[in-house]
Amino acid sequence: MDAIITDASCDAAPGAADRGADVALDNRLADIAALAETRLAPMAARIDEGHYPLDMMAPLARAGAFGFHLSAQGARYDLALAAMETISAACGSTGFLTWSHDVMGLYLDQSGNNALKARLLPGHVAGETFGGTALSNPMKALAGIEPMLLKAVPVVGGWRVSGSLPWVSHIGPGQYCAAIATVREGHEMMFLLPLDERAKLRPCPKFSGMEGTGTWGITLDDFFVPHEDVIADPARPFIKRIRAAFILLQAGMATGITLGAINDIRSVEGHLGHVNRFLHDGADELEAELDDLRTRALKLAQTPFEASDDYLMNVLDVRAEGGELVLRAAQSALLHQGARGYLMSSAPQRRIRESHFVAIVTPAIKHLRWEMARLEREVMPLAENAA
Amino acid sequence: MTALDPDILEPTDGRGPWLEFLCRACGMIYNERDGDPDSGIAPGTRFDDIPDDWCCPICGVRKQDFEPYVRPQGHALAAPLVRKADGGVVIIGAGIAGWAVAGEIRQRDADIPITLITRCAGDVYHKPELAVAFARGMSPDKLRRENGSDAANRLNVRLVRQCSVVGIAPRFGRVRTTRGTFRYDSLVIASGARAQMPTGLDPALCWRINHLQAWEGLHLALKGGTRRVAIIGAGMVGCELAEDLARAGHHVDLVSVTTEPMEGFLPSPAGARVRHGLETLGVRYVRMSGVRALSRGAAGRLLVHPVACDEAPVEVDEVVCATGVATPSRLFQAAGLAFSNGLVVDPQSLQTSAEGIYALGDCISLEGAPCRFVEPIFKQASAIAAAITGSSDGTYIHRPPVIRLKLRAVPIVIEGQICRDGEWRMVRESPERLEMEHYRQGHVTARLVA
Repeated sequence: MDAIITDASCDAAPGAADRGADVALDNRLADIAALAETRLAPMAARIDEGHYPLDMMAPLARAGAFGFHLSAQGARYDLALAAMETISAACGSTGFLTWSHDVMGLYLDQSGNNALKARLLPGHVAGETFGGTALSNPMKALAGIEPMLLKAVPVVGGWRVSGSLPWVSHIGPGQYCAAIATVREGHEMMFLLPLDERAKLRPCPKFSGMEGTGTWGITLDDFFVPHEDVIADPARPFIKRIRAAFILLQAGMATGITLGAINDIRSVEGHLGHVNRFLHDGADELEAELDDLRTRALKLAQTPFEASDDYLMNVLDVRAEGGELVLRAAQSALLHQGARGYLMSSAPQRRIRESHFVAIVTPAIKHLRWEMARLEREVMPLAENAA
Repeated sequence: MTALDPDILEPTDGRGPWLEFLCRACGMIYNERDGDPDSGIAPGTRFDDIPDDWCCPICGVRKQDFEPYVRPQGHALAAPLVRKADGGVVIIGAGIAGWAVAGEIRQRDADIPITLITRCAGDVYHKPELAVAFARGMSPDKLRRENGSDAANRLNVRLVRQCSVVGIAPRFGRVRTTRGTFRYDSLVIASGARAQMPTGLDPALCWRINHLQAWEGLHLALKGGTRRVAIIGAGMVGCELAEDLARAGHHVDLVSVTTEPMEGFLPSPAGARVRHGLETLGVRYVRMSGVRALSRGAAGRLLVHPVACDEAPVEVDEVVCATGVATPSRLFQAAGLAFSNGLVVDPQSLQTSAEGIYALGDCISLEGAPCRFVEPIFKQASAIAAAITGSSDGTYIHRPPVIRLKLRAVPIVIEGQICRDGEWRMVRESPERLEMEHYRQGHVTARLVA
């Protein structure tokens, strides 16, 4: 641009630059799609059985899969959703790891602790280090569904944290995650939890699927958290701000696994179409609903930090609908494929279990409905005469 | 404990019955009688006697993450939904409008499945009665004309209570709710309007009497004594409620930003009569620059703080906000339905911008304006029922309803249409009677008699 600039090229420059940027983003998505199709999809069964695919997460990170939503990259939550959909369509477990990795990036990106961000975020986005999120319990606790499991006590230079978390994903020895501990009633702090020798990791009981998600139980005994590792204190306003983005990003898992299921249905259309037409929830029907859902999710992705209750309600609704659609789609894919879909090595039966996961992972369908019911409730005074 | 296997030993250690402990992380229950043999904890091991390094056999958290567990007794949980029908007509809202549509449809078609989804209990009551219920010594039970389940049985309607509609998918004929997704062939929206509050007011400190449940709460709060109540807003609802509460023996402060009540709707001679009538009943008309905030003061009393610093706050026992209602837009806009001050409907068919979706009552706007009166609702319900069942008995013709203010102190009747750009002219005025006419572009559009 600093060579010879004519008037005409000057006028055209912004548009051309935009187009150039768009082409670069399209190329990134295409690279991610190629990786998902050629390398990830063939590994999906192995990952489902227990292989934790950091060997796949690293190339995906290098292709730029985990940075779209960060502020330095323009906060493109729409593209983060698109990438997660592509990955989830190939392998639901890796889709979930993508979400975990993305939200850990979101916490760092939005944290006021700039030193921590500078220390960790570049390597995290580049896939040099990996870490997930231990916010399942805190998210439920802050919604009033269950008690907070970690407790923090202030000490010189930081905090001492104790307690156990049952299942935390996308972690392993030497990795890290974000966690929240109660300081006292109404005050919680959020911190980076490095999984060094002080944190006890226990293998979880075997799940019915998605075993390769690096899921462990964590026990902390007086685990020292220095002030330098605090992500947000107090945690509540921070969680309130990022909650919609946290939930909205999960829609990418739902749309991706649904897309995979639709592909499963289409793949047998040629030889089974004559009998499959007696089934409902066919590919076209599901696809119309998927398009509708995706359109709404992408629209919401334009304003991920909007603070209104109406916005949160729309996000919860999209996420809950994603949970319902993916269940129907996966079920339908197996019915369409028949016995071959029932084979242990088949994609449809794996996707059934992946879809169940989308429906029960925090926030599960029931949690989403609980939260929507809470938002709908009209606040009124308490009639003190009630006694 | 009766649900457990009776063959296992009863405790003999003198430490009382077997207890249960709940894992706070995964919900696993440790029962002392059964123990946890897989982890080497024999049946009959007291929780206190379990070694501290024992972990939850399901999720692995530690012993200290368990808490004593008492099984809930009886009927605390709502019954699960049994889905009998799919499709058919879904009606959102169980107010006058929702039940009216259900009744009109059933009259024309005995078999069509009807599902009525409501945020409340679905009990049948007549909302205008709420404006006169205190003075008449009504109770919630008396106001309830029919229990929701009885009405549902009578009309063969599936009633889904305590359920909010959160999304509508017109393309796919589905409504998403806090209790799952329902299919419909025809959808009727009768979800009403919600009370609006000035910004800055804490909703936990003031009542909005827009439905029976809210009235029930205020009724309970005012029970057993004379209270001082501030009503914020001197519109139609505020004035009616002020009279009702005053007649019921309470002290009422009617807080208003306007010189006379119902300014903008009533001409000022009529407003002055209303104010005078209310004052005769003991209502104090408090002119205020606006309400900035509510707070709880000494001895739990409430303070209504004015916007202007030189005005004194009003101190009361209860506050009621009557500053208007509006149709919430999120649900409809997210579904892509045309919305302008309410759901936009065709004035004859009452169909919204989406085919097969109808709306009536307080949630709609006809030619850009809402019409929140009871009278037109029954005709609207009838027209919608005719359209859905394919019977030929009617389109809706909107006529401005005759408005009768439920003020016994000053009965006022208005017939016709009041326009913002019109003007009121005096016909005759005497201490006993006021007659005025509303003119727009040289024509009388409404008459008022007080």
